[in-house]
Amino acid sequence: MALNLKGSFVLDELKNVQITIGKILEEGEEWDEPVGPTPMPGIADLRKWDHTLLERYEPFYAPMQDFCTLCTMGPCDLSSNKRGACGIDLKTAKARLVTIACSIGAAAHTAHARHMLDYVIEQFGEDTPIDLGPDVNVEAPNIRTIIGVRPRTLGDLKVALEWAEREIVKVLHSTHIGNEESLIDYESKAMHVSMCDHIGMEVADIAQIVAFNYPKAEPDTPLVDAGFGVVDRTKPVIVVVGHNVMYARPVMDYLEEQGRLDEFEITGLCCTVHDMTRYNARAKVFGPISYQLRVIRAGLPDIVISDEQCIRADLLEACSLMGIPLIATSDAAMRGLPDATDWPVEKIVSALINGEVPGVFLSDPEKIGQVAPIVAEEVFRKKDRTKLFFKSDDEFREEIAKCTQCMNCVFTCPHSLRIDQGMAHAQKTGDISKLAELEDRCIACMKCEQACPKKIKIINVIMQSNLQNLYAKTGMMRVGRGPIQDTEIRKVGQPIVFGQIPGVIAPVGCVNYPDLKDDLREIIEEFLRRKYIVVTSGCHAMDIGMLKDEEGKTLYEKYPGNFDAGGLVNVGACVADSHIAGAAIKIANIFAMRPLRGNYAEIADYALNRIGAVGFSWGPYSHKAASIATGFNRLGVPVVVGPHGTKYRRAYIGKPWKKEKWWVYDIKTGEKTYIEPAPDALLISVETKEEAIVQLAKLTIRPNDTGMGRQIKLTHYLELSKKYLGRYPDDWPIYVRSEADLPLRTKDELLKILEDEHGWKIDWEKKKILEGPIRPLDPGFNPTLVEEVFEKYSRK
Amino acid sequence: MAQVKKEEKYPIAKRFDIADVQVSREAQAVKPEVIARQIKRAKNPVLVTGGYLLKEPELVDYAVKFYEKGLKIIATGGSSKPLIERGVEPLTVSYTLHHFTQYMLDDEWQGFDGNGKYDVVLFLGFIPYYLSRMLSALKHFSKVTTISIDQFYQPHAKFSFTNLTRNKELHYRMLDEIINLIGGE
Repeated sequence: MALNLKGSFVLDELKNVQITIGKILEEGEEWDEPVGPTPMPGIADLRKWDHTLLERYEPFYAPMQDFCTLCTMGPCDLSSNKRGACGIDLKTAKARLVTIACSIGAAAHTAHARHMLDYVIEQFGEDTPIDLGPDVNVEAPNIRTIIGVRPRTLGDLKVALEWAEREIVKVLHSTHIGNEESLIDYESKAMHVSMCDHIGMEVADIAQIVAFNYPKAEPDTPLVDAGFGVVDRTKPVIVVVGHNVMYARPVMDYLEEQGRLDEFEITGLCCTVHDMTRYNARAKVFGPISYQLRVIRAGLPDIVISDEQCIRADLLEACSLMGIPLIATSDAAMRGLPDATDWPVEKIVSALINGEVPGVFLSDPEKIGQVAPIVAEEVFRKKDRTKLFFKSDDEFREEIAKCTQCMNCVFTCPHSLRIDQGMAHAQKTGDISKLAELEDRCIACMKCEQACPKKIKIINVIMQSNLQNLYAKTGMMRVGRGPIQDTEIRKVGQPIVFGQIPGVIAPVGCVNYPDLKDDLREIIEEFLRRKYIVVTSGCHAMDIGMLKDEEGKTLYEKYPGNFDAGGLVNVGACVADSHIAGAAIKIANIFAMRPLRGNYAEIADYALNRIGAVGFSWGPYSHKAASIATGFNRLGVPVVVGPHGTKYRRAYIGKPWKKEKWWVYDIKTGEKTYIEPAPDALLISVETKEEAIVQLAKLTIRPNDTGMGRQIKLTHYLELSKKYLGRYPDDWPIYVRSEADLPLRTKDELLKILEDEHGWKIDWEKKKILEGPIRPLDPGFNPTLVEEVFEKYSRK
Repeated sequence: MAQVKKEEKYPIAKRFDIADVQVSREAQAVKPEVIARQIKRAKNPVLVTGGYLLKEPELVDYAVKFYEKGLKIIATGGSSKPLIERGVEPLTVSYTLHHFTQYMLDDEWQGFDGNGKYDVVLFLGFIPYYLSRMLSALKHFSKVTTISIDQFYQPHAKFSFTNLTRNKELHYRMLDEIINLIGGE
């Protein structure tokens, strides 16, 4: 049992001696798993693992700036890898910048977790048991593996959170001038702080699942409305934007208590709406983070509540221009507003309704619950909702007429959208279809309007041009289910590790897509049809709910929500990404019986060599996306990002021709063995959906695949390459260990290619490969990159 | 085939993204003849094609013409499919531009065909911001001559077409001129 002792104790026999005890955890009886080598690791403790990874997957840098302005000795010209005044060179400066970005991401999730945990402990008590449902016994795989404790109560999560906070500060310290000089060690720190990020996410999501009674690993969660057109405009609309559900929950509670929930539309943008729907499936998903200006400029909200992360830094201005009161709730984003936390409810309502203030900072969740509906109702009464982006068609046309095709907008648009051509065509012909085409690819960042010398409301023009289609972009999102069940892991662990389930694809993250949004659906469905497991979260999960096929169905309506072949699993908000990492960890633990406790390197090594999981972020843009991805990389899970991902400046890409880099220890033979480059990259960007599909298929290949598993994975890789790239991939032979690896239907053709084009020796009578592969297929192959793991299991 | 006229005025070399600023040198915005000269002088030139070939069939036509003039092609982003349909045999189809750039930064790499590293690399048909990052890496960490022949001016290349976004026909004429000038095998 866990024994919690707190407070000060005076020993009678010893005068003037006082012992202060914070917490004692006696784990022995309930968790007899021995403590592994790295519980609560510091920066240096997993450095060896990082260096092993980075030796193989060499960091790649694509500088966004070749100068540094972080101290007063600068600005320094670092171009062509020159050193600045502090001695840092360009590559190391980029590694430092990546470390800073990952620290920001980790701090965001961890501060979110701190806020959430403190609140739910205060509300529900720290002895509240962690219960994630009957099918989840390994409740906190990240915390067990990294921290080395098994949390049983909300209070037990504190130790993990305190560790993460401490390590984030230490890593951030290393980015100060005059510290690290090795880019590899900066990358190790980026990985370390990103691992903290995964702890922060896990704490935040477990805390809210337990406290707010979210779905607990249930595959069949409800389907909820999603999309720009989901709100009933005859009701007051309350919109919450951000990532922390603490402030939306009391609004729903208050209205439910009043029996008035049906009289309002409760909607949200970005991850906070995931958690709103997990709390109450009557909440509606307005859209991902890029829908902020779409929704506000349309005048749809009657009140906006902002919490934290990824919210526009001009939200107050955008709301004020539309006469929409704003309640800012998080001390991370107080927006210059007066602190109304201690004001009486009536005073806050009056100030907002009468326009005395454009918004307030209000950090008391219960007051927000009371204030928001009253204000929304009042604003709604006064508002004309008949026109959305423009008051009249004349006003819309006049705006278009202002354009001179100077193209300043094009040269600042993140997607170089040809706004000029759309405007010119509309001016000449009256046809707005070319403007309408831009809507789907527009992330409504507003840079175009900043650049426009005529101050044209370009976003409004684009949105109005495609209003009908925009309004029709509605669908259904399956509510986030949280963790993966232990029982599901038991069922799929072996087929994933052996390769019969060809892989787990995890599309997560933001919406800075390179092209049409529907590409995301096409990519994902290609894998669902092929019986991969797809696990999603965040804005990707929302967009999937807004994208429909020719028959008008979303993927959630076509594919089941269980973690199994052909399943589409929505885990929830971005903090629920911890469950995706957790699933990989649980495969190692539940299927392979690998101990978790303080045993990170062994688990990550297991994932790298055996679990064909690949992260996929088609439109990454936040710092959190950087830390989430880097955390997965440390866990041995490769990540594919869309082309905007190159702006993170760093990738991890191996070099297949360097045979000396591709080795493992084989525990079975006791020898160091050269292997095929699988996976050949840990972090890589792709340009198109075609390229994304083929790369994702390739990156599921693992050294430990069985013959059957490799055959299945190669079948998909070859088929997809032929389908999207026009021929077989260039590197398929290096993944062939024996004829058993070859797809059955094309075996003869492939053997012939191996013989004719690659000089392999084939016994045609037996259809066997005699000579050619990097290594033979060995059913007992037992790979590891970790010396200690090799020694441990070799001894056994 | 229409040649770019000598008296033709070229648009100014405006960066594809005005905020993509670095302190080091910016690409020389050059005429087709300069690029043709670079290709002819090169020991091991290559054309890398990107995903825009899937959207703009004219770019496929030009890539095919370069190929027919003897230039090897590394096809990325799915651009291989229309090229293969037109009889081109790209050196590779399944490596991304990201892979290629990482490999190019390694002095030991001998190219996809083992014939040595490419000394002059032309880029055609890329999302501008994606290509820009790769050109930045190659500018700072390699000595390779990079040439962008896309419609957007790419500041981090060594040589680039100027900004041709207003005049697609001029872009095509400039591509034609390079092809005419490099002769053939």
